[in-house]
Amino acid sequence: MQHSTLTAEQVRALIAKGKLKDTLFQALGIFFLGIGLIVIFLLVGDMVLRGSERLNLDFFMNFASRRAANAGILSAWVGSLLVMMVTAFAAVPLGVAAGVYLEEYAKRNWVTEIIEINITNLAAVPSIVYGLLSLGIFVYAFGFGQSILTAGLTLALLILPIVIVSTREAIRSIPAMIREGSMAVGATRWQTCRYHIIPYAMPGILTGVIIGLARAIGETAPIITIGALTFIAFLPPAPFTEVTPGVNAGMFDWLMSPFTVMPIQIFNWTSRPDPAFEINAAAAGFVLMVMVLSMNAIAIWLRYKMRKNIKW
Amino acid sequence: MNESQHLSSQFDEELGRLRTHVLQMGGMVETQVSSAIDAYSSGEVTSVKSIVEADRKINDLEKAIDDDCAHIIAKRQPTASDLRLVLGISKIVTDLERAGDEAKKIAKGVRRIYEAGHLPAQYGIGIRHLAEAALNLVRQALDAFARLDTGQAQEVIRADSDVDTEFKSIIRQLITHMMEDPRTITTSIEIISIARAIERIGDHAKNVAEQVVFVVEGRDIRHVKEKAK
Amino acid sequence: MQIHDQPALKAEARNLNFYYGEAKALKNINMPIYDKKVTALIGPSGCGKSTYLRSFNRMHDLYPGNRYEGEIRFYPDNTNLLAPEVDPIEVRMRVGMVFQKPNPFPKSIYENVAYGLRVRGENNKRVLDDKVEQALKGGALWDEVKDRLNDLASNLSGGQQQRLCIARALATDPELLLFDEPTSALDPIATGAIEELVHELKKRVTILIVTHNMQQAARVSDYTAYMYLGEMIEFGKTDEIFIKPNDKRTEDYITGRMG
Repeated sequence: MQHSTLTAEQVRALIAKGKLKDTLFQALGIFFLGIGLIVIFLLVGDMVLRGSERLNLDFFMNFASRRAANAGILSAWVGSLLVMMVTAFAAVPLGVAAGVYLEEYAKRNWVTEIIEINITNLAAVPSIVYGLLSLGIFVYAFGFGQSILTAGLTLALLILPIVIVSTREAIRSIPAMIREGSMAVGATRWQTCRYHIIPYAMPGILTGVIIGLARAIGETAPIITIGALTFIAFLPPAPFTEVTPGVNAGMFDWLMSPFTVMPIQIFNWTSRPDPAFEINAAAAGFVLMVMVLSMNAIAIWLRYKMRKNIKW
Repeated sequence: MNESQHLSSQFDEELGRLRTHVLQMGGMVETQVSSAIDAYSSGEVTSVKSIVEADRKINDLEKAIDDDCAHIIAKRQPTASDLRLVLGISKIVTDLERAGDEAKKIAKGVRRIYEAGHLPAQYGIGIRHLAEAALNLVRQALDAFARLDTGQAQEVIRADSDVDTEFKSIIRQLITHMMEDPRTITTSIEIISIARAIERIGDHAKNVAEQVVFVVEGRDIRHVKEKAK
Repeated sequence: MQIHDQPALKAEARNLNFYYGEAKALKNINMPIYDKKVTALIGPSGCGKSTYLRSFNRMHDLYPGNRYEGEIRFYPDNTNLLAPEVDPIEVRMRVGMVFQKPNPFPKSIYENVAYGLRVRGENNKRVLDDKVEQALKGGALWDEVKDRLNDLASNLSGGQQQRLCIARALATDPELLLFDEPTSALDPIATGAIEELVHELKKRVTILIVTHNMQQAARVSDYTAYMYLGEMIEFGKTDEIFIKPNDKRTEDYITGRMG
């Protein structure tokens, strides 16, 4: 080691050089991060500023109107909410079942591999293609029409890959020794899934589902493709309420109702010549942003709360 | 016996040192016995003091070796051949130390005989022969230990019974002497105790040889013959 | 040594071979497991001792590409545990297992122990309460946890968690209990408690234990098997193996002459 002996000054110079690179890289990172953050802040800020005069209770409680000042987003947010409900109810059982099957049951062979490659590819398919698919299958072949059900199922298809992938990731993060511990006392695969795998994977699965829904709520293209209306001045029939005199709506009638959703409402307003509608669009855009962000917040909170008790 | 290296070279060193110390102690006992016999034949009472002195050194060495054995057991938890070696050594040193004590007894007996007068000539040959045989057993037993040679150890065990036979015939002889001439009784009793000590040295050599068999083969051959009889 | 009566057989490996895909991990193993005795498996890492252990409860069936040849006879009914027509679930109901790292489920202490009974369809609260208490007593954990059965198992210390895992395995009254290096993640005190427990348990159950700690094998077992490169090199009474092994390779391993 004699030949590599350095004086204290040389060592300090070396360390200083290394530290300089550290600092430079850090600064660069912060700069790029800043660009992203600033853009988001500008966007949101712009929307808030421009849309602020419309952000009141009436805006939420009014239907669409020809006059910008009277127009509201009632049918849009109710529509979005109902569609999301259908999407969640369809995508979660399907996605979780598929994920559990692939992780816990499927034999490792070429069939499984093709399925896996396909799921990854599905996540990359442009959303409008899902719209076209649904137009053919749900709207015409099944005859669901241009309804909440069709939209919900379409978006469910769209987020299914996300749910499956996040389910599989969550399952993979469960240590093998938990699975073995369960099997070792004589549990079947299903008992192991039912008592351990699915409950312990739940935080991860829910996070995936909510992130999927957050993506779905902002989707416009497939909804337009299946033919959602842009101008709706009524709400879907609530269960068991009187729709026409003497006739009560059934439990699931709302599923077949025409509808609109937030992004379509915004799209519609921005394409109008009257600049007053621009304000509406900005306000609605802000509401949509808040909806998406709060879904993400719920995802984070749920994950934290559920993971608290799961330790290994 | 396993001669290949341990993963811990320090352990190898510790065991090596232990064996060296045992051989060193054995060498001292051997010298002690042989000088006691020399004193018996020559009447050189002056060497008795150095024999008694040597016994003290042997005792110290025994304690030191026992201590090392305890340390190795505590630190290394020896198993199999290592365990047998350590156990065997801790027993071997006990026998060596006792053999040393017997040598001391011989030397003291010699001093008493020569201080009282001189050794009647007829007692010399038989005792001397017995002592040479016993000394030879000690040498062979130590050799067997040094080389971990069970063949030689078995030889020692067999030869010890010759020493025992010879001892018995000497006793018979002495009894005859005492009956013939009661004036020899005092000297004869001294000589009986010397002969007894020599016979004991042979027994201790046999015990060492038995431990060598245990160390090498893991067989405990003590008391087997007695049972067979 | 004193003369022992030959104990009854609980299990016996006969010409057992095991393959991970193409790789042969166990080579023609023949070995008895005696009833209500502790048998230790020792050997360097990768010698196949865990692989062998995990054949007894068909753990290898959980992963694709594994293949057994030969038999593990299980007594008194003389079942071949490895026979394809024998359901691995049924095997695991008779053969319990404790793992290297304590692996309690992220549930309550009570539910951890009750799990084995629940998967057998036992839902009667009184029966469960009773069995859970018995199992926790068997795992020498009852006194420490009886006032907090509904606490999360993950709040217990490592040693307690491992005893909980033992209690979990005991709850279903297995005939054979497999221990896969049960103390390798524990401190000496917790290790001592587990060893003491093993000693207690052999009164009621046959035990097969894999350990890296030779002194542990010497302390807890009645019989010891030394394995090397997938082969069973030597099997014998622990007393004899640790004082006078017959095979040079066993000797080298237990005296620390080989890595």
